[in-house]
Amino acid sequence: MPVLWILAIVLVVALVGFVLGRQRALSSGQGDIRNLHSLPSYYGYNAALFGLVPAVLVLAVWTVVQPLVVQNSVIDLIPESAVEDAGNLSLVMSDVRRVADGLDVAVAEGAMSAEMAASLRTDFTDVRTRLGNVGVALGSDVTQDTLRVAQRYRELTASGNVLKTIVVLGLSLGLTGLALLRTSAQFRARNVVEQGVLLLLLAAACIAILTTLGIVLSLIFNTIEFFQLYRWTDFFFGTTWSPSFGGGSELGIIPLLWGTLYISLIALLVAVPIGLFSAVYLSEYASPRFRSIAKPLLEVLAGIPTIVYGLFALLTVGPLLVSVFGDNGTLGLGWMQGGTAVMTAGLVMGIMLIPFVSSLSDDIINAVPQAMRDGSLGLGATHSETVRQVILPAALPGIVGAILLAASRAIGETMIVVLGAGAAARLDLNPFEAMTTVTAKIVSQLTGDTDFTSPEALVAFALGMTLFVITLGLNVFALYIVRKYREQYE
Amino acid sequence: MDDLRLVERDVDTQDIKIAARKVQVFYGDTHAIRDVDVDILDKTVTAFIGPSGCGKSTFLRCLNRMNDTIDVARVEGDIHLDGEDIYDAKVDPVQLRAKVGMVFQKPNPFPKSIYDNVAYGPKIHGLAKNKAELDEIVETALRRAALWDEAKDRLDEPGTGLSGGQQQRLCIARAVATEPEVLLMDEPCSALDPIATAQVEELIDELRQNYAVVIVTHSMQQAARVSQKTAFFHLGYLVEYDETGKIFTNPEDSRTESYISGKIG
Ligand SMILES: Nc1ncnc2c1ncn2[C@@H]1O[C@H](COP(=O)(O)OP(=O)(O)O)[C@@H](O)[C@H]1O
Ligand SMILES: [Mg+2]
Repeated sequence: MPVLWILAIVLVVALVGFVLGRQRALSSGQGDIRNLHSLPSYYGYNAALFGLVPAVLVLAVWTVVQPLVVQNSVIDLIPESAVEDAGNLSLVMSDVRRVADGLDVAVAEGAMSAEMAASLRTDFTDVRTRLGNVGVALGSDVTQDTLRVAQRYRELTASGNVLKTIVVLGLSLGLTGLALLRTSAQFRARNVVEQGVLLLLLAAACIAILTTLGIVLSLIFNTIEFFQLYRWTDFFFGTTWSPSFGGGSELGIIPLLWGTLYISLIALLVAVPIGLFSAVYLSEYASPRFRSIAKPLLEVLAGIPTIVYGLFALLTVGPLLVSVFGDNGTLGLGWMQGGTAVMTAGLVMGIMLIPFVSSLSDDIINAVPQAMRDGSLGLGATHSETVRQVILPAALPGIVGAILLAASRAIGETMIVVLGAGAAARLDLNPFEAMTTVTAKIVSQLTGDTDFTSPEALVAFALGMTLFVITLGLNVFALYIVRKYREQYE
Repeated sequence: MDDLRLVERDVDTQDIKIAARKVQVFYGDTHAIRDVDVDILDKTVTAFIGPSGCGKSTFLRCLNRMNDTIDVARVEGDIHLDGEDIYDAKVDPVQLRAKVGMVFQKPNPFPKSIYDNVAYGPKIHGLAKNKAELDEIVETALRRAALWDEAKDRLDEPGTGLSGGQQQRLCIARAVATEPEVLLMDEPCSALDPIATAQVEELIDELRQNYAVVIVTHSMQQAARVSQKTAFFHLGYLVEYDETGKIFTNPEDSRTESYISGKIG
């Protein structure tokens, strides 16, 4: 039975459980709610939760685990020679799965009977054309070994599916029944449901934490692998970045870090003053009407996908800068050779960060108590004196936190850099030169056909890890500062 | 009300510092102050009493135009400070607030050092020619607020680190340091314990030597203790305004009598 069907049946069981649980509780309390320990719907939820949650959990785990188990048990059937022919085991296994899926399709479309699919032999049937007829294309002729393994694979999967259906439905029905049996006027359904909800929330939190942990661990393992192939001193202190997949690459991170920091610096030089001033204007001076229009507009800026900013950099800002600072530019300086440059990416990234800085600072400035403003105005200070000497100093730690968060976004930004700053890793002070960043190089090291055992590909993980450590540090520092600031007024 | 300790009632002067006529205040459509006429005397403590929501704070904030900072508030009528209309277009509300200082209900020291809190006003208004003068202004203000002895060794520490009563005295020092002519206090003791309250009340009585002090208070005992004149507000009207002793012993209006004997509140 397909998973979707099982799920539907479990849902129906839970729904019926809900109705029955509610009724049973009511009738055991002689129809008077006041005789019950909990509200009637809690008895319903109790039965429904019992019918639903364990069954769904088992279903999910089983669906994920079954293919792995089946695969493991058919692996022994694959002869050594087949593995040698194909080059490695996983290629053979993917052939097996394709044939097995093909047979499934053939049976489903009626081109083959189920017995026939199970007893097919390559000496009598041309499996490749038969499967080709039902639309399953195979890369090569099917060997008898592969076919035998595929048939075994199907057998095991089929019996596994039957077992799964029985277990899941049995669990659902059994636990619903149990919950219904326990339902009586004295049963503390409310407390049980409370526990159930708690477990669900806990499970969600665990999933979130475990996935993060998994990501970090995979980064760490690949990074360790990289450092076994490449000296860490050369990576962290090398000033040249010239990967070549043929060997003899130099993978120094310094030029990339320099590009990252340079572009982020320019971005912050744009975003911080504009963002901060607009926040001060919006929170201190703007009329409520203007504010109600301008704030959402600023937040629209924050919703624009970064690739769009990248296009803007490539097509508008780059050419514009060249026409001013380029060889034949209006200033006649000849500083800029092409549209892609640190300045292009930095300016556009700065624009992207403006709403980020301004909306965070706006919240922080608004959190400064009105009493502080009254105190200053009451002493005969003007509005701008109040902002400069009382409100901004009071909000400073929070604003610093906002700027650090913006910085960590700038450091992690990729698309704008790829399109706006070019691809050349360079250590240079001229902001009109093309440079590149850590993130952009991660992309270029992993795009195309990559061999994940070479240092040229694995370096991407080391780069990612470095970036992760830097932004994590910035974020932690920013959160620490923001939190410290919060305490001040609570 | 027998336990009221009525301090010397003699009003030292009859000079009118602030004269208000037909003052109306609206918050949007709410008519918060109606037809208030009052003369506030120099070198006198005037108390505003009345049930909460009757408009005491609103009227007080008219006297230094703090209501200008509230968008929906609108003030009508005449208020003269030393004979000059403070709502006249010529008058700069910022200058006015330097002359009419204000202390708020909740102590609101700035997140700066104790010294910088007190020096804030003098610096803004350029009252000191050099650092030595500024030091002197700060010391004098802190002495007048009876905070010098407690604060002189910790002038560089943040004002927010003081206790509630000390913070309120710091706010008074801050207001005094700008050398105002009138000091408005909106329930300055409501966040303080009895000892701190007693200190602030003593302070108010001293401040009377130099300023006109207007104090809003919830506590009738406090009004009786510190003020020479008392105004009773009710539902936006100024019901009765007279010598404090007379208000508390022999009020003319029946509403005043009900309030001080605890029937309205
Ligand atoms: N900022 C404001 N906006 C609108 N209405 C206000 C505002 N401040 C006070 N009010 C209203 O004005 C009236 C008087 O308030 P207030 O002067 O604070 O009274 P009191 O200080 O005597 O307790 C109240 O009805 C109050 O709801
Ligand atoms: Mg009030």
